[in-house]
Amino acid sequence: MSTALDRQIRPIYDALDTGSNKSAIVACNKLLKKHPNSNLLKALKALALVRTQKVEESLVLCDEVLGSKPTDDSTLNAMLHVLRGLGRHNDMVTMFEEAYKQQPTNEDLGTQAFFANVRASNWKSAQQVATKMHKQFQEDRYLYWNAISVVLQANDPTTPPNMRQLLYKLAHRLLSSSSATPLSHTDRFYLHLSIFKELGLVDEAAALLDTEVGQLICSANLSCNELRRDIMRLRGLLKEEGERAERLITEKDDRNWLEFISLLDGTFSYLQTPSEDTQDECSKHIVHTQEVLTKIAEKDGKKDRSGHLALLELELRARKHGLSTDASRLITLMRQYFDNFGDKACCFEDLKPYIFLEGEDQQTWTSFLEDVNSDVSSVNNLQRVINSYKLLRHTLPASDITLEAEGKGAALYVEQYFKALPLGQALPATELQPADDLAILSGSVLVNMWKLTGDQQYLYRAVILLEYGLSKSKQSFEMRLILIRIYRLLGAPSLALEHYRLMRIKQVQNDTLSHFLFSRTSAFSLASTGDLTLSTECIEASQVYLSNSQETSDFVIRAFNAEKYSQIPEFIEFEERLDNSLQRDMTKMEHLRMRIAHEVISSDIIDMELIELKFIFDRQHHDNRDFDILPNYQPQSIDTLNKQTILFDKAEGLGWLWTFLKMYIRIFMMASDLDDSIEEKLLVGDRPKLSLDPEKRRPLKERIVDCKESELEELTPEEHLLVQYTEALAEWLEPYHDYARPPPDVVLAEAAKLTEQKTGFPLKGVEIPPQNGKSNGPYKKDEEAPPLTEPPEAISKFFEDMRSQFKKVKDSGDYSRTLHTATLIQEAFLLLATASLRFKATSVVKVHKLGGLVAKLKPIRVEAASVLEEVSTALSSLSTEAGSAEHRTAISEVDLGYSEIDKDFVNQVAKKIAESRKTILEGVGKGVTRLCTTYTQ
Amino acid sequence: MSVLRPFRASDMFKFNNVNLDIWTETVTLRNDNEMQYNIGFYLHYLSRWPDLCCVQEAPSGRMMGYVIGKAEGQSLEWHGHVTAITVAPEYRRLSLARKMMGLLEFVSDQIYRGHFVDLYVRCNNQIAVDMYEGLGYSVYRRVREYYGSLGVGKGGRDEEDAFDMRKPLSRDPSKRSIRPNGRDMIVSAHDVS
Repeated sequence: MSTALDRQIRPIYDALDTGSNKSAIVACNKLLKKHPNSNLLKALKALALVRTQKVEESLVLCDEVLGSKPTDDSTLNAMLHVLRGLGRHNDMVTMFEEAYKQQPTNEDLGTQAFFANVRASNWKSAQQVATKMHKQFQEDRYLYWNAISVVLQANDPTTPPNMRQLLYKLAHRLLSSSSATPLSHTDRFYLHLSIFKELGLVDEAAALLDTEVGQLICSANLSCNELRRDIMRLRGLLKEEGERAERLITEKDDRNWLEFISLLDGTFSYLQTPSEDTQDECSKHIVHTQEVLTKIAEKDGKKDRSGHLALLELELRARKHGLSTDASRLITLMRQYFDNFGDKACCFEDLKPYIFLEGEDQQTWTSFLEDVNSDVSSVNNLQRVINSYKLLRHTLPASDITLEAEGKGAALYVEQYFKALPLGQALPATELQPADDLAILSGSVLVNMWKLTGDQQYLYRAVILLEYGLSKSKQSFEMRLILIRIYRLLGAPSLALEHYRLMRIKQVQNDTLSHFLFSRTSAFSLASTGDLTLSTECIEASQVYLSNSQETSDFVIRAFNAEKYSQIPEFIEFEERLDNSLQRDMTKMEHLRMRIAHEVISSDIIDMELIELKFIFDRQHHDNRDFDILPNYQPQSIDTLNKQTILFDKAEGLGWLWTFLKMYIRIFMMASDLDDSIEEKLLVGDRPKLSLDPEKRRPLKERIVDCKESELEELTPEEHLLVQYTEALAEWLEPYHDYARPPPDVVLAEAAKLTEQKTGFPLKGVEIPPQNGKSNGPYKKDEEAPPLTEPPEAISKFFEDMRSQFKKVKDSGDYSRTLHTATLIQEAFLLLATASLRFKATSVVKVHKLGGLVAKLKPIRVEAASVLEEVSTALSSLSTEAGSAEHRTAISEVDLGYSEIDKDFVNQVAKKIAESRKTILEGVGKGVTRLCTTYTQ
Repeated sequence: MSVLRPFRASDMFKFNNVNLDIWTETVTLRNDNEMQYNIGFYLHYLSRWPDLCCVQEAPSGRMMGYVIGKAEGQSLEWHGHVTAITVAPEYRRLSLARKMMGLLEFVSDQIYRGHFVDLYVRCNNQIAVDMYEGLGYSVYRRVREYYGSLGVGKGGRDEEDAFDMRKPLSRDPSKRSIRPNGRDMIVSAHDVS
């Protein structure tokens, strides 16, 4: 490149860097006049175009540059960004491989070609590039790149399981051919070990591990040490591992719990071959281990829990094997443990695995806990009291959990809470209050009392207490999470949203925690009235998936560069789990349900959503949702707090998502003109890899009509009705749609025409068939229209059923259920509108002689609208009721049983609940009317 | 008593009980550090210094805390650095931080052969400063406006300034990496990395 041109191009880079894409385009155009064949200019212009969403125009330039097979750095680099922006990883691979082929001695191009394959997860081709590079440049690292590519191919979900061993063997062969020692480099050492482990080559692994350097690496590298531990297990060397652990614990003061587990596993390893001798042998070792641990426990005192807890674990295991020598020992140890660590918050969790006792033991333990001094005037004692309450509650048998007993418990915890609250008075606002857990305990009991009776007053009481607790302990995210759940149950979604936002959820938490907000969130959406609050939340939360697909592969590449082989598979797994996250697509589904209530349903929306839903339908989902974050102090004999507070009492997961996907895909496929052959031509970017799952390889049309009982179990009864309704609707209308749908070549020609109008270029790979004197009107098939059939009864029955269901629920005081029912009727109406969109065009109806069908659709729409009118009226009067002074008073007058919380505070909470309810009921009601007007004309 | 194990990328799916706590955000990480909490923050460290990143886990599998570190600096300044160390509220007062620091120091010493380990701490976080002093760290210098974006709050200068605290390792037997009057040595945030 001439230096003059170089100078002129610099400002284009600056413009791109600062996001001034438009001026970059102008500058490119100007220079392209002088240098019409410059690949770099074309690539830079394509980049600016991609960044301004002008995909079609950019594609044309992009293809031109790719066609010329560029090899210069700057062009390749610019193209890298263009192709990433377009999601065309496969083209990127071709481009770099082509460049590398032309300059096989260019190491940088080789690396780029390798990385392009890594980004596209083309492990096989990556391996081939690495092989070539190793031959050419003789660097060990390329041999390792080669080997790990083989390992990654073996781990890839699209690789058949029977190939796995074979590939690992190949990786093994590759590495054994190397002259370099694996001991020079921790992560190379790691890769060798992991391959040995997978192939069960324990002797080879041992040879590496037993070297001095190998031992040193394992002592300072946790990842390698983890592998070492696994390999020792595979070799069956539990005894030796136990001895090693004992030395570490006693001589080096290692307090890693993993070592204690090894020590215990070693102690009981004698029992692997059961006989009397081994029993004796084991008993001897139990005594020895007990001595060792007792010494450790004495030495550490209260400084470290390991020795103490390991003694408990030892005794529990001895009991299981019938080798315990002292019947009272377990209880004694538990009491000692509580005495030593009862003032630590984790004591409850530590003791949980040991507290399920029988008979006398149970009584002794219970009375020990009941005797714990209930004085809460010091932080340490408060923690003891809290631990004793949690432990006692955890083992309550179901028969003891009566309304009366729970009432007493709630009162006790609250009383103690207010007594203990002053302890944290001096703490800064950023600290949690030491008494927090008492409020959470009491709140949990109140939730259970609601479960026992169905009486909402208990939820009001829980809310008032937790809101108060939160006002004293602003950072208590646990209280917030419980409040979010309860507000949704109470039909006060704006308050749930408020708390959710205050948690300042970030990054990956948008995947793991957003279920608190988005689970069945469309029931609380005001999208129908133009309020996009929740839809926006969905989009913002979904940003993390975008940054995952854009950024994570960069770090995979960094890990390759830094040769961190232990990390590469982990990064890829992380990327995969986030990319195929269940929550991601559940959020997407909710967003779609809100979208069709907001935007006027058009073929554009249908087509675009259909393509996306079909992609999602091919995914292998991972459930990353974090439910454990919600504290659970309910007795083990009843449901967890998480389960108790799930909206509509139905936990939704893959089955729910699958059912809704099938429902929407079926309706959208019917309403859309797209078919696979058209999509193939119109889609930009790579297709997902084909799944191995035979289930996913079946034709889509078959898959979407499947209906599995286990999936339906995740639906509420109302959702179930909606599914049946949609099926009936689709069965009835599909033949007419199939008949009236224009054939693919006509649809393509139309799309090509539009593209050409927009960009000035014809659509790539599409030939517009000659019109043959056909008019522009709708395409007419030669065959006859399918005979007119009556609409299935299930359709009108759905609206009848839902009408009576709504009547029942609207007076029950269960506002969230009322909204659920109302929004599902609305959804059914919108799906009807979607399914009859094609028959709105009079020309289509005329040409295909479908007037009879239109006449049959109309009364259904009218009936649906009449149900919705009723719903809207009822919601409006419910909203007035919720906004009334009586309603507020009903909440604020609940009998709290204590007087520490100010009346004003209680009134405030009541007011907010009432207002939130009023707003949502009113809004949904109005939205229903709006949609009726839009789609009944 | 806890499991000490490597920090894995997928731990990002399960560290909510640690990361929902406000201290993780305001104390351990510099406020104006745009990287914090991003997927990229963790992957950046894991892709270069995985052996300086570890997790403490309860036997139940619940995460208790984690440390993220790196090795950096030229010649005599080559050292291990603690970027983030945090423990979930329910696992405080169990010496977990002490154990994680111990590992990080050991690896910085044995594997990276650093001269010292250093860390930054808000000047007004007396509990943390005391703890680090107990572990053998001493103030090397005071960095003005290190935690910049908060501005001068209730705590005044101490809230936004940081102490750079150091502990010499075996490669620095004459303890050249520390000094007695560190609290008086004041530098601006631009002068530190």
